[in-house]
Amino acid sequence: MASKKKIIAPVMFMLLITVLYTSVLAFINESTKGIISEQEQLRIKRSVLYVFNMKSDGTSDEVNQLFDESVTAEEVDGTLVYKRLENGVATGYALAYTGKGLWGSISGYIGFSPDFTEVLGVDFVAHSETPGLGGRIDEPWFKEQFRGITVDSVKTLVIKPSDGGNIDGITGATLTSVAVVNIVNQFIIDTLAFAKEANL
Amino acid sequence: MNEIIRVFKAGIYKDNPVFRQILGICSSLAVTNFLANSFVMGVGLMFVTAFSSLTVSVIRQFTPKHIRMMVQTLIISAYVIILDIFLKAYFPAMSKNLGPYVGLIITNCIIMGRAEAFAQNNKPFISFFDGLIMGLGYTLVLMSVAFVRELLGFGSLFGIQVLGENWVNWTLMIMPPGAFFMIGIVIWVTSKWFPKEEEKGGAKA
Repeated sequence: MASKKKIIAPVMFMLLITVLYTSVLAFINESTKGIISEQEQLRIKRSVLYVFNMKSDGTSDEVNQLFDESVTAEEVDGTLVYKRLENGVATGYALAYTGKGLWGSISGYIGFSPDFTEVLGVDFVAHSETPGLGGRIDEPWFKEQFRGITVDSVKTLVIKPSDGGNIDGITGATLTSVAVVNIVNQFIIDTLAFAKEANL
Repeated sequence: MNEIIRVFKAGIYKDNPVFRQILGICSSLAVTNFLANSFVMGVGLMFVTAFSSLTVSVIRQFTPKHIRMMVQTLIISAYVIILDIFLKAYFPAMSKNLGPYVGLIITNCIIMGRAEAFAQNNKPFISFFDGLIMGLGYTLVLMSVAFVRELLGFGSLFGIQVLGENWVNWTLMIMPPGAFFMIGIVIWVTSKWFPKEEEKGGAKA
């Protein structure tokens, strides 16, 4: 009978301590849920404002205010489309993209002019490129290059110094630069088809 | 008091978790490309090690010996999850930078090593202190590695540019090989500076 006791006591102990810690964690999780989802929303809002080239001073209040004032999100055929409105007229659309980078997927937002003839801006939200090399896609000089580029139905972006090049690649990160260009080009082709179908 | 000094010396150099016990190497290699990342990682580890040592020590008399590992893992993961939630809620950018490494603190051998080697046999207060100091020893090594890597790799410290425009970033330093070289150099230099005391057991894997 002694062996039976040795089983029950540890199981009870483990059960007790598991219940205790799980409830503490559940409580913490529940009480921070709101803040965490707010932070995630804020990241998306910052990114959408960036691709629309709308400057804010970066504080969360101002980002929220600017976003709520001039951007509306609506679902079109199962895709979330962010629409920029100025005096009731749409002046841009932003869509989320995901694509294959060199080391992992790259995702972010691309902004288009309302007639889908011009890229307003590109932003990267998540990527796993090498810091200091491919990771430099986060630097402003790289991202700013995408503004105002004319949309082409086949190949919008071409890396310099090729014929008709419009994007400077990153030195030492050729594969990441090519990956980004391919993602954006493919996304533009898909978006043009999507916009035509959805009558945006 | 003597015990406090002994624990302090052990954690900082005599029995430093990174260069003496060779524990926690994985995260030392991964997050040391920026000083800020290393700092947050170090503080996070101090928090987890200190509180899990404290908890293990408090319940050491009630814990059935043969399930103590299970109990320790549970305690450690609980504190790691608390830390992860805290970073996500209040430092989202940092949480994104550290990526999976916050969650991987659970597998950091330093914490379980301290729970097994120290907290299991000592009073709560000194166990808490031991965890804190072991975490500090880890933090100091991480920060010194990150100092060199960020300075040479980006020309900056804590994200602030300190080397002038003419500095060409030494990209190798911020890539994984740079971390291996730096950790190797740290272990080599410290073994010259702080020779092993013969009577001590020294490194435990």
